[in-house]
Amino acid sequence: MLNNFLMFYAPFIVLIGSLVLAFVVAPKDDAVRRQIDEEE
Amino acid sequence: MSLEIIGITVLWTFLFGYILIGAIDFGAGFFNAYSLLTGKKHILTNIIQRYLSPVWEVTNVFLVFFFVGIIGFFPKTAFYYGTTLLVPVSIGIILLAIRGSYYAFETYGSRGHKGYSFMYGLSGLLLPASLSIVLTISEGGFVEMVDGNPVLDYWLLFTSPLTWSIVVLSIAATLYISAVFLTWYANKARYFEAANLLRKYALIWALPTIITAGGIIFELRRHNPEHYANIQNFWPMFLISFIMFIGTVWLLWIRRNYGLAFILLAGQFIFAFFGYGASHYPYLLYPYLTIYDSFTNPAMAISLIVVFIMGLGLLIPSLYLLMRLFLFDKDYVRGKSKHHA
Amino acid sequence: MGNEEAVFFSRVLTETTLSFHIIYATIGVGVPLMIMIAQWVGIKKNDEHYILLARRWARGFIITVAVGVVTGTAIGLQLSLLWPNFMELAGNVIALPLFMETFAFFFEAIFLGIYLYTWDRFENQKKHLLLLIPVAIGASFSAVFITMVNAFMNAPRGFDIVNGELININPLVAMFNPAMPTKVAHVVVTAYMTAAFVLAAIAAFRLLKGSNHEYHKKALYLTMKIGLIFAIATAVIGDFSGKYLAEYQPEKLAAAEWHFETEGNAPLIMYGVLDDGEVKYAIKIPYALSILAHSIPSAEVIGLDQFPEDEIPPLYIHYLFDIMVTIGVWMVLLAAVFWIGTKRRWKMVTTRWFRWLIVLGGPLSIIAIEAGWWLAEVGRQPWVLRKIMRTQDAATTSGHVDTMLVLFCLLYLILGIGSVVILRRMFRKNPVEQEIEDRNMEKGGDML
Repeated sequence: MLNNFLMFYAPFIVLIGSLVLAFVVAPKDDAVRRQIDEEE
Repeated sequence: MSLEIIGITVLWTFLFGYILIGAIDFGAGFFNAYSLLTGKKHILTNIIQRYLSPVWEVTNVFLVFFFVGIIGFFPKTAFYYGTTLLVPVSIGIILLAIRGSYYAFETYGSRGHKGYSFMYGLSGLLLPASLSIVLTISEGGFVEMVDGNPVLDYWLLFTSPLTWSIVVLSIAATLYISAVFLTWYANKARYFEAANLLRKYALIWALPTIITAGGIIFELRRHNPEHYANIQNFWPMFLISFIMFIGTVWLLWIRRNYGLAFILLAGQFIFAFFGYGASHYPYLLYPYLTIYDSFTNPAMAISLIVVFIMGLGLLIPSLYLLMRLFLFDKDYVRGKSKHHA
Repeated sequence: MGNEEAVFFSRVLTETTLSFHIIYATIGVGVPLMIMIAQWVGIKKNDEHYILLARRWARGFIITVAVGVVTGTAIGLQLSLLWPNFMELAGNVIALPLFMETFAFFFEAIFLGIYLYTWDRFENQKKHLLLLIPVAIGASFSAVFITMVNAFMNAPRGFDIVNGELININPLVAMFNPAMPTKVAHVVVTAYMTAAFVLAAIAAFRLLKGSNHEYHKKALYLTMKIGLIFAIATAVIGDFSGKYLAEYQPEKLAAAEWHFETEGNAPLIMYGVLDDGEVKYAIKIPYALSILAHSIPSAEVIGLDQFPEDEIPPLYIHYLFDIMVTIGVWMVLLAAVFWIGTKRRWKMVTTRWFRWLIVLGGPLSIIAIEAGWWLAEVGRQPWVLRKIMRTQDAATTSGHVDTMLVLFCLLYLILGIGSVVILRRMFRKNPVEQEIEDRNMEKGGDML
């Protein structure tokens, strides 16, 4: 049961999950803005 | 209508699409290179680039669609044509690769680079010639079965007048189609100098096109009497095609209504191409392969047709959008907007 | 030329074409997503740098797409030219996703043309971004459909062969074969990962070569973050692939892991060399193979002893597995350190040597992709269609494959060098500083 889930459904869940996460994380650029400011 | 007929009609239509827009595309590349060579760059390059830029990738898809579709609908063609066409189609692929990539290199990488322009102009002209060999082979007589495997007789193929007439026709027709289309397009864009030059090219290439086309039918009488006899049955289609050809040349000659001239040209090729295709029926490869004995199973055929219909539902609106934004947008055609990435 | 030779050269030519095409194909699948993310962030944060990033990536993307399209056409035709017997069977059973792929490609091609020529044509940037969605979807679904065909070669389903006749054909069952989910997800997610790391490498390289513009820093941070997410997803899906293999293609897993005897509590062998059937210098991770295969440390994993000699893939695929996994893990670590380091203000992540490591990560990711595909393809041998058709029976009988091989090698050389030269020239001639300045001038002009 679990194995079937991991083989057939989980791959797509992980794929779509990572896509969503990429869009969530992408705009968070405070760290690099601070880095840029500090260097100036 | 049987599934076999639906399948081959769809594929033949897409092949026609490739031949028509491919010819415009390849001819345009050649005229562009030729204008660089003869110092007429300033007249032609602009208008040619404007047409080609957004559509070149789409052209290629028509070809991919055709060969993927034929494997799907008629899997046995993979065995017969796959084995025999290794050399001619490989050469075609190489030309196509050079044509496609060097076009992109020149257009997006280094505008006006002469070497790249010649590369894609020339390879684009040779490409129809090399792909047209497939049509020649389909007439039969060049493939023999040895130990159950089809083998192509290169000597016979390359010494046959039929081969060379088809090669000449493919090149002449490419330049003719392209010149007629671009005459209309340049005229629409109000590049009158370019339109005049292209009109001249169109008139020059009209004659070789019609002579070789007629010559091929004549040669078939000797090469493939069965096909020749079949062609006779479809004479009205070829007659209509010829009348349309006269119409195009007439309109170009009196410099009137280039749009209608192009429509007549498309009609000319539609009638000739489908007349030829219908007379070829039922053979895919004389005398070994017909559309019936090579056809796929009904389950696959029906699912391919369903996917095809759904796919068209997606494609037709998208193609419409593409045409509206570029081909038929006044500002774009006249070069008033610069929105390239 | 004997048929053995034809088989050999057909294999070499297919491998050459695929190895070359996969570089451009991977970039072609991954980069549209990156462009989309960058443009979206740019619109959302009203930051010109991200929008310019999207625009410059799009410009470079055209060149790679062109080469990807023509080499993709090449492999599409070569399948029929070199493997006519295989394609005859495949045409009957798995033609559906191949056909769908042309539609995905069509869709992508049309909207890419539109997207490229409509920069700044719309008042509202969001409308322009919308045009990119079909491009990204088309690109990803091309990969999905074509990988379905490859999955089918590993786990053929949806038909029966009775007396040499194909019967009971079900195209949908063939498409949704057991290998499909793990394979499709793995291929798509690694394409995203590789695209992100290749773009990160470019940004890091510009920073190393004198430019200190914030544009590159934003690009680097964005791509490394995205790369990290997809690299982790890759590893997770890779683990699922192990479970699939253990159940459906145990010989492939066993050969890749040098797992000779069927046993429980199986350790995972990393690295090492094979000396007369003896594994030397390897690192053995206890229970790891059992966990990879069945999620249970004590589970029994089928070894190579269960298979006849002539159905075992070449054992060198273990090295390919090592390369793929090592690079994958390395990239996760590198990207994680960079991300945490940037947040925590570690000096290390802005040093020259660290940036060189990021530059190196670009080519490394591509090597991982290559190793992964070689592992997938060689690991299926001796079958072209597992348990149905052997590779040697699928090849052409034509006698000119060797000549074609030479011609195609020349072609790929020309295309490879050409695309690199063009890409360099494109960005050299128009550095980002210049472009930002030009754009500001234009804007200033508008205001007057």
